[in-house]
Amino acid sequence: MEASLQEMAMAMGLTGAMLTMLGMGLLIAYYGSSKTRGVGFVFLLLGIGLAYFTVTNFDDVHFGNAFIAFIGGMLGGILGIVAFLVAIIKS
Amino acid sequence: MDFVDWMWMDYFVSMFIVGIGIALLATGSFTSYFGAGKSQQIGFILLSLGLVTLIVSYILSFDAVEFVEPIFNSDLFIEALVSGMSALAGMIIGMFVILFVLMKVDTVDDLEDLDLDDLEDLDLDEELKKLEEELNQADDNSENGEEK
Repeated sequence: MEASLQEMAMAMGLTGAMLTMLGMGLLIAYYGSSKTRGVGFVFLLLGIGLAYFTVTNFDDVHFGNAFIAFIGGMLGGILGIVAFLVAIIKS
Repeated sequence: MDFVDWMWMDYFVSMFIVGIGIALLATGSFTSYFGAGKSQQIGFILLSLGLVTLIVSYILSFDAVEFVEPIFNSDLFIEALVSGMSALAGMIIGMFVILFVLMKVDTVDDLEDLDLDDLEDLDLDEELKKLEEELNQADDNSENGEEK
């Protein structure tokens, strides 16, 4: 595996985990019970730590390109689902 | 960060097309399998559209057809695909970690916090008798209604 490909895979794997930690951590910290709320804050801190690690340890250009590829895929997926919903609703 | 160095065409646009293709393929396969009548037909159309989109993105990235010039760099296309899949894998792993931790942590609030006075006052036998009486009354009413 090429170095850039390896770096991109690692950076994006960590970015995916970071997004999940931040999103779920926010939800758990806000809606959780008195015991789960603490776990939510831990996830939030972990997400922030992962974000800091990812931004500081990987090459800007590689990470930027990998991130726009991920965003492009997500937007395409959302557009595909919107197309499906439009097709079903209009039928 | 230098935005000029980012290759929007090779990374963003190629993955945008692949994303549309995969979404259409997935929704189309579900709708064509579980749908009936008109919705099943729409499912087949979506499925074929998704397949066409993915094939077009393949042809535009890899020199698969002789007369069509590829517009995406094949190496960069692979890199973009690996990036997207890695991000999805990372999200799935993160979700598993969160679920694992939540299952291991005691998430039920302490029973001391609950107000148990109401439960102590409750006489279950008495409540059961009341329920039986209500049921008997309902049966009697329905029988009287049928006789009339």
